[in-house]
Amino acid sequence: MFKKLIAESAAKSPWLFHINAGSCNGCDIELVSVLTPRYDAERLGFKLTGTPRHADIVVVTGPVTKQSLPRVLRAISQVPEPRCIVTMGSCPQSGNVFKGSYSVAGPLSKYVHVDVDVAGCAPKPEAVIDGLALATKILKEKREQM
Amino acid sequence: MSTVLTALQYLGYILIFPGFLFCFLAGMLLCGIDRKVVAKMQKRVGPPVLQPFYDFFKLLGKETIVPAAASKVVFLGAPLVGFAALVVIQLFIPVFSFTVFTGVADVIVILYLLLIPAMAAILGGAASGSPYAGVGLSREMVTIISCELPLVLILLAVGKTVGSFLGTGITFSLTDIAAYQAANGSLITKASMIPAAIAMLLVIPGETGNHPFDAAEAETEICEGLLAEYSGAPLAVYKLTHAVKMLTLTSLFVALFLGGIGTGIMLVDGIILFLLCVVLTILTISLVHAVTARMKIEQIFKYYWTVVSGLALISLVLAWYGL
Repeated sequence: MFKKLIAESAAKSPWLFHINAGSCNGCDIELVSVLTPRYDAERLGFKLTGTPRHADIVVVTGPVTKQSLPRVLRAISQVPEPRCIVTMGSCPQSGNVFKGSYSVAGPLSKYVHVDVDVAGCAPKPEAVIDGLALATKILKEKREQM
Repeated sequence: MSTVLTALQYLGYILIFPGFLFCFLAGMLLCGIDRKVVAKMQKRVGPPVLQPFYDFFKLLGKETIVPAAASKVVFLGAPLVGFAALVVIQLFIPVFSFTVFTGVADVIVILYLLLIPAMAAILGGAASGSPYAGVGLSREMVTIISCELPLVLILLAVGKTVGSFLGTGITFSLTDIAAYQAANGSLITKASMIPAAIAMLLVIPGETGNHPFDAAEAETEICEGLLAEYSGAPLAVYKLTHAVKMLTLTSLFVALFLGGIGTGIMLVDGIILFLLCVVLTILTISLVHAVTARMKIEQIFKYYWTVVSGLALISLVLAWYGL
């Protein structure tokens, strides 16, 4: 029963950590708009944390530049299990307009397992909330398998 | 036989009513109500009132990482010490006319015990070996020093008022303060105590480290400061400590200024105490959180040592002249 309680809680209290991997700041602003009174993601328990150690969901924006790649991987490895990695915007998925650039090392899925992709440039807040809600379900499944 | 019963009774006090279980449930509920009220004030729907419980159980289920640079025993032990100290305070604070341990502890002991959670957080942060925790702990120390002076002045003012009535000069016994209020009505009805009560209301958010006095745990600038390296179960205990601290300080306010309105039945008294704590939390923590931005550390220090200490001092002077 205690295990079930913890798994239920894992889906209801997802804390976000946001990594900017060379993003143009468009997606970053859209992520913050998700927490504003209009969309209010906190009603689902979402909270932005300041350190990867507290996080459950890592949100990566930007095309993963060569400079940022080791830092992104290091920050992700600091997140305790169970964790979920969500890419936001088209850049970390495909490179978007930056594809083929000498400084881009992406896509992110070449280096780590990505759980949810939210496409768009930049994605609508509704799409972001939908993707994050999907990530909470994955978190719960991961917790049950632990 | 009777010693066994007494032992069981005290075990019940420690584990259930003013002790662990009450602290856990009431503190978490206060925290949830606080978050809901802040959300409502910002025209949001807000998280469910039970959200702190979800956060707590989720954190229990997370992996606990101990950094390579950390000293393991202090890093993992500090949160437990801090939480235990708060539960001990709760056993010493009278619930209107009822106190678990009478005669052993007075206001001075509570003052020292209130320092322990903050000291534990500082030790734990220092043991984590993170530079963010280093910045956080220096700020936390300044916050403690800021809050301590007004708190001492408030306790002196209350002690002097009750002491001059009893003819003992000044008293530090919480039992005496509770008995005085049961006989003569709440202390807040005395005009000389009103500045001290206001000062105490202003001390509560500073002691709990809530907005706008949360420079030590600023998540946007120093990665949550002292808690930067914590994860999993120790972090859950820290969150619990923070929630229980809200309960402890508001119930200390009730014991100091709003005593003497209990009914004598323990269950009813417990419910009245909790409701008063909810009102005080909304008044001192939620409303202040919703309308202010974070202060800089030197602003916190200046504010507490001038405005709040000044209010407490007015009360002390008035009490000294027997008003």
